[in-house]
Amino acid sequence: MAEQTPRPTSPDDWRLRKPFSLKLVLTFLAVAVCLAVSARRTEIDKAIYQTAEGLAYAVGLTDEAEVATGWNNVMASAFPLTFSAEREVTRIEGFDRNDLPAFSYLISKPEREYDLDRGEWIETGEIEYLVEPFGYLTHVLWKMVETLEMAVWGTLLALALSIPLAWFSTRGYTWNRGTYFLARAVCSFTRALPELIVAIFCVLLFGFGTIPGVLALGFHCAGFFGKFFADDIENADRGPQDALRSTGAGRIKVFRFAVLPQVTPQFVAYVQYIMERNVRTATVLGIVGAGGIGLELKGRLDLSDYSHVATTLLVIFVTVFVLEQITQSVRGRLIDV
Amino acid sequence: MFLRFIDVRKSFAEDAVAVDGVSFDVPRGQFCVVLGSSGAGKSTLLRLVNGMLEPSQGRVEFDGVTVQRRVLAQVQPCIGMVHQQFNLVPRLSVLNNVLAGALPKISTLAALCGLFPIDLRRRACRLLAEVGLGEEHLYRRAANLSGGQQQRVAIARAFILEPQLVLADEPVASLDPETSRVILQLLRDESRQHQSTVLCSLHQVELAVEFADRIVGMRHGRIVFDGPAEEFDEAARRSLYGLRVPRGGDAPGEPHEQAPPEASSPESDPAE
Ligand SMILES: Nc1ncnc2c1ncn2[C@@H]1O[C@H](COP(=O)(O)OP(=O)(O)OP(=O)(O)O)[C@@H](O)[C@H]1O
Ligand SMILES: [Mg+2]
Repeated sequence: MAEQTPRPTSPDDWRLRKPFSLKLVLTFLAVAVCLAVSARRTEIDKAIYQTAEGLAYAVGLTDEAEVATGWNNVMASAFPLTFSAEREVTRIEGFDRNDLPAFSYLISKPEREYDLDRGEWIETGEIEYLVEPFGYLTHVLWKMVETLEMAVWGTLLALALSIPLAWFSTRGYTWNRGTYFLARAVCSFTRALPELIVAIFCVLLFGFGTIPGVLALGFHCAGFFGKFFADDIENADRGPQDALRSTGAGRIKVFRFAVLPQVTPQFVAYVQYIMERNVRTATVLGIVGAGGIGLELKGRLDLSDYSHVATTLLVIFVTVFVLEQITQSVRGRLIDV
Repeated sequence: MFLRFIDVRKSFAEDAVAVDGVSFDVPRGQFCVVLGSSGAGKSTLLRLVNGMLEPSQGRVEFDGVTVQRRVLAQVQPCIGMVHQQFNLVPRLSVLNNVLAGALPKISTLAALCGLFPIDLRRRACRLLAEVGLGEEHLYRRAANLSGGQQQRVAIARAFILEPQLVLADEPVASLDPETSRVILQLLRDESRQHQSTVLCSLHQVELAVEFADRIVGMRHGRIVFDGPAEEFDEAARRSLYGLRVPRGGDAPGEPHEQAPPEASSPESDPAE
């Protein structure tokens, strides 16, 4: 105290620090320059220009805008949404004209063929179609269910894989420093690989379908669970563990009675978080061929069937929204296990 | 002799000797208090008994067997322990906390499923009744109990395997003076009833004199007093807490981490 204030001075003489130091100003300038350079490379300026142009079109300031044209094209073909499905009767196995599925009906459309000699379309006959008014919607909903199932199994697979990972990533349970760092490294590695990349790879190995989706989700999240479980186990209060260990209880028993109860709330929270994000991820995994609703989305996008795309997006949005509401309401109660 | 310390020494580093050549015997059935101020080496001494620490030199004999890693599986289940911080599992029910003391007696599979045989569960209930808890506490979380109640649960846990020896490491250091007496009384009654020997560390002279059959005074890792509680006099107290004449009665001459024993204002027992 004494050497810090050698002699009392008047408050008017106290040295005040400048609000901005030179270092701070220089740092800000450097960051600004870097961002400016990067903005050119990422075409931020063009993005702003095109967005502004689109907005100007929207409020009627201009008659032409690039994004507006794209918007109008998509919107024109997206609405009305397609809920129904049409199938050629001749391609339906065991079709019985007198026993149609509920609410469905038959329509006929002329069959046309392009005549190369005459250079025009000619009618060659009639094709009969079975129309199911909610056929497509039902199809997409089932795809959504499939997506949810992928998310569930991806999460379960991740949990199963994370048990050995967490075990060896925890001091006091791992065998030695080698296994400790190896397990920690595997955890980081699986988290570092994006699901889409893993999914593409798994599609090559297992073919299209839900298998690569489940594997990709499980692989990616195993590292997440492994790391976070291990961290929580390491940080669990030692006191109760020592108390049980001192009676001669083995490691597994001590874990079950002195560690698991302590970490359960966090574990439940992690699983819930991963479950939610797996549902969102599973919807896009299909884009690379890994099953679920994403596969449907990709197919329709490639065909420019925007009215089908819109239906699919609607289903995804509603599902994610509903699930979020459910988990929100369950959260508090689940944690109190 | 039931419990023997034979020239026991424990050092954590070259210059950190926690227990420095301690020798004494505890006969069966005795309530023996190890008395000393903070850092005297009481916890270290107790942890040497149930193998949580290994002596650097000398040995501890429990019922004729030298305590060492090889025999821990047999020795540890015969020794119950009560801790200053209770060391219950906060989110586990009272019943499960008591049963957790019996883990060595059930199979790993049963433990994983959390299944205890009915006779163990009945025994846990009887012990809980003995320490003054009721049916309504069985499925309460340990975290929701008062300190006094938690220590009661911890005592029940220490006795679940019919231990021949109970170690109590400052069992009342985080309790108020009123509750401290109740808990020590309980510990003594339980040990009488179950014919267990007790080795209990304390830093409060008054409590030691009141409850101990015998007091072993420790300072800087060495024994400076050993005798019946009645023989613990002013001279013994000084040898334990330093030469300075204590101010205001008995505040020890060394810096103290725990609340001094006399800082008592009559409070209601939180256990009720
Ligand atoms: N794990 C350890 N590593 C290093 N030093 C330790 C360790 N445990 C105890 N010590 C040292 O040993 C000495 C005795 O500690 P011990 O805990 O046995 O004292 P105590 O009498 O129980 O004190 P308190 O009343 O504070 O619990 C202290 O100086 C302490 O710093
Ligand atoms: Mg201690």
